[in-house]
Amino acid sequence: MGARFRVVVCLLAASLAVSAYAQTNAAGGLAIPATTSAINSAAPLSQRVVAYDMDAKYNAKAHSVDATETLTYHNLTGQPLDTFPFHLYLNAFQPTSTWVREGKREATRGQDFEKWDAKSYGAEEIKSLEVVGQGDFTNQLQFIHPDDENKDDRTVMQVHLPKPIPPDGYVQFKIKFHDQFPETMERTGWNRDFVLGGQWFPKVGVWWHGAWNCHQFHAYTEFFADFGVYDVKLTVPQYEVVGASGIEASSVNNPDGTKTVAYHGDDIHDFAWTASPHYLIYNDIFQSSVGPVKLRILMQPAHWNQAERHARIAKETMERFDRWYGPYPYKTLTIVDPEPGSEAMGMEYPTFITGGTSWFMPKGLLVPEGVVEHEFGHQYWYGMVATNEFEDAWMDEGINQYSEAKVMDSIFGPATSVLNLWGITAGERDQDRLFYEASADLDSMAQNGWQYFNYNSYGGITYGKTALILLSLENVIGEDTMRQAMHTYFLRYRFTHPTKEDFLKTIEEVSGKDLRWYFNQAVYGTQVLDYEVLKISSVPVDWYQENLKEKKGETEYVDNVWIHRKGEFVVPIDIETTFDNGSKVREHWDGKDRWVRYAYQKKAKIESVEVDPDHKIYFDRNNFNNSRTAEANSAPARKLANYWTCIGQFFAQVLAWWLV
Amino acid sequence: MNENMNLVSAGVAIARRNKRYVVWFYLLNLVFAHFGASAFSEAAHAVLDKSLYADKLLHGFNLGIFVELLARPEFGALSSATHPATMFAVVFFLASLVFMPGVLLGYASDHRLPRDEFFRACGRNVWRFVRLFIFFTVIAGIIGGILFGALNALVMAADKTSNERLPFFTQMAGTLIILLVLTVIRIWFDLAQTEVVLRDQPAVRKAIAAGFRKTRRNLGRLLGSYVVVAIVALAVLLGGIFLWHAIVPPSSVLGAFIIGQAMMLLLLATRFWQRATAVAFYVREMTEPVVEERIIPAFVAPVVS
Repeated sequence: MGARFRVVVCLLAASLAVSAYAQTNAAGGLAIPATTSAINSAAPLSQRVVAYDMDAKYNAKAHSVDATETLTYHNLTGQPLDTFPFHLYLNAFQPTSTWVREGKREATRGQDFEKWDAKSYGAEEIKSLEVVGQGDFTNQLQFIHPDDENKDDRTVMQVHLPKPIPPDGYVQFKIKFHDQFPETMERTGWNRDFVLGGQWFPKVGVWWHGAWNCHQFHAYTEFFADFGVYDVKLTVPQYEVVGASGIEASSVNNPDGTKTVAYHGDDIHDFAWTASPHYLIYNDIFQSSVGPVKLRILMQPAHWNQAERHARIAKETMERFDRWYGPYPYKTLTIVDPEPGSEAMGMEYPTFITGGTSWFMPKGLLVPEGVVEHEFGHQYWYGMVATNEFEDAWMDEGINQYSEAKVMDSIFGPATSVLNLWGITAGERDQDRLFYEASADLDSMAQNGWQYFNYNSYGGITYGKTALILLSLENVIGEDTMRQAMHTYFLRYRFTHPTKEDFLKTIEEVSGKDLRWYFNQAVYGTQVLDYEVLKISSVPVDWYQENLKEKKGETEYVDNVWIHRKGEFVVPIDIETTFDNGSKVREHWDGKDRWVRYAYQKKAKIESVEVDPDHKIYFDRNNFNNSRTAEANSAPARKLANYWTCIGQFFAQVLAWWLV
Repeated sequence: MNENMNLVSAGVAIARRNKRYVVWFYLLNLVFAHFGASAFSEAAHAVLDKSLYADKLLHGFNLGIFVELLARPEFGALSSATHPATMFAVVFFLASLVFMPGVLLGYASDHRLPRDEFFRACGRNVWRFVRLFIFFTVIAGIIGGILFGALNALVMAADKTSNERLPFFTQMAGTLIILLVLTVIRIWFDLAQTEVVLRDQPAVRKAIAAGFRKTRRNLGRLLGSYVVVAIVALAVLLGGIFLWHAIVPPSSVLGAFIIGQAMMLLLLATRFWQRATAVAFYVREMTEPVVEERIIPAFVAPVVS
């Protein structure tokens, strides 16, 4: 009884202390600004946890930044916080970091680091860190490595405060830091006189599911951060053309030949910027359902003739996202065409994306379209629906890949949405199948990003498999229902950090179906789907009669079809048998057994059998064995062999031409 | 220019008169390539013949599905398809090496060369041609290696500029120059081969020296002729690909075969045209009267007794 009383007294005292501290904070004027720059809302769109106020000076010669950061953090965790972890992503570009070790192990993104190049060095050095009201903690910063045993990794640091920040309280960090950018790696850094400032400032982790979520920078993984307000002043040489997340608030020329450009962003969770003296600016407007969005496209001079291509695909994509999922509420979108040859292409940041093209880009090669579409899609699946990219990579990359297939197919046609050049075609679904097939059974989608077998598996599963699984699911629950589910998911979870189950349960709720059988295999499992038509036979009923003459349409046959489930993934499937009199029979098999046989007695022989005749399932690992014909059709193989022969002849002639 | 055209026309006349060589070499080329493609063909038949999915490769060319086909385990490793093709390309090269002396003799002859003479020329010169090939490989390898090394350095330097087109155009211009240089070496050795066959020159090094002298003295004429023919070859290739794409329906295997083979035949013919041009030049060189310097007798003072 006495112990319980003591606990009650302690809780009461703590509660009074918390209340008093919160009032102190309020009295101290600490708060997250309630500004809004949304098209369609006078109130903040997100529950804001952070406010970053940064003043950064870029040294174009040294490719470095000296900056001050004032971070105001609002403790919405419901409990006192005395420890704060920060990402220092640029420290990944050091020879002993986890990012480099994993990159070297997997040779990811071309960074196999045969030899360490000084240009690859990047750093984010904390010059000082002060917690307002608690003092200077510069000497007490600790590097931590929550994901591995690499004590040399310096991509996450932690600060421990003697006075905890109470629930609903605020804390303000004042940080001075120095960045050294690497020659572009992992979509950040410099190349010639271009720079892309991505993941460049100390960024606090996310309190998620009762704990800090602040992973090290890994070779495959991306990012995770809380929503808030960003006010950033960038000082760069006056000759630079600058672009950044958010809205440009002002631009002032300084007497020392620099200029300071100020940006403001509301309800975003990251801030990236770029500068280059070469950019040409193409402005356009997209009229969304809630108002105009200003498109600012920074093009390389050599790609200027593709500016309209970039604008067109951006607008067509935005129109579809607006119609299908919900409005884009920000007033701007900056599209950056990065320096050729840099590793900065194809990346998403809030209201700011990088494309990817080259000076020779025939219209049938839909590379810039694919990249711009994909990166814009991330404004929804990452930017607004801010899933944990470290732990649930499929929820941003995969769902976005699915959206990409839908958008690109609707614009360019399903068979030609990637390539349509000189008679050679490829579609988004073909591309996703190739991603997936390369490593179909190594990892599940529900896997921490850095724990995939290798980079191919990460790419194949998070991008390819997720897209195929969702495209196939669309055929299980219906395209309209799937679109409605995506719409509901977006509206319900925008400006939050949803989990896997939030997404899956939304689909179940909207479709009104129990889809666990599907999700357990597709999302949480590594099962592979592979149906095959194992065998077909047509034997005359009167086979025993001597001198039997078979006549089409008159002779009766016993027709048998054997279907085999080779893989472990079970999905109900249709099977269509076509007979030589033109008739067709459809069966529906639950797929639970390893095989099934269908027998028919007809005055017709089997001509062909096809599993999944409507092509609803996109993730069958081998589509070639999904059908079988009674008679061989050698034309496709002869066509390819003919190509191969011609290539062989040409090669032989060139060899003989030069050597004899 | 006229001289070039005369040489090119003379080459055409010779090649036309001896069309059978082109046809025979074409047949060799086709048969060997067919053998080289047999592993690929077998693997493709095994996967595609009874599959309705193969239709997407017949009515069009879906690159994704083609790559999917190559990735199938039952298709086998890609190397099992590329190795035979490479091997048979080498066999075709060797056949060209063996039979080219007969062709050159036939080109120089004003009558239809009897079969035994053709093969005798081939047999007599086979080792000489092997040695010429070795010399050619060494010289072209060294010069080509140096030039390609220099080009790489240039392209890397161009790559450091912010002009994205510069590396590409540097590469293209450099490659063109290197091809011209290698063409000069090829002309030199084409003439050396002609010298070996037509003079029955057993001393290969002398033939190389003679080829070098002739090339040096007539570089413009010879290079011009070869370049004209090479442009025709390029036109054949590009025109053929265009026609293939424009007029052959994707599902027409026969149409694709006919246009593809017509392209290969014409492409081969252009190389024989170059060889005929070299022979025409060589024969002219041999028959053109050599204007010798008049020997002016030295003044001899009368003997005065």
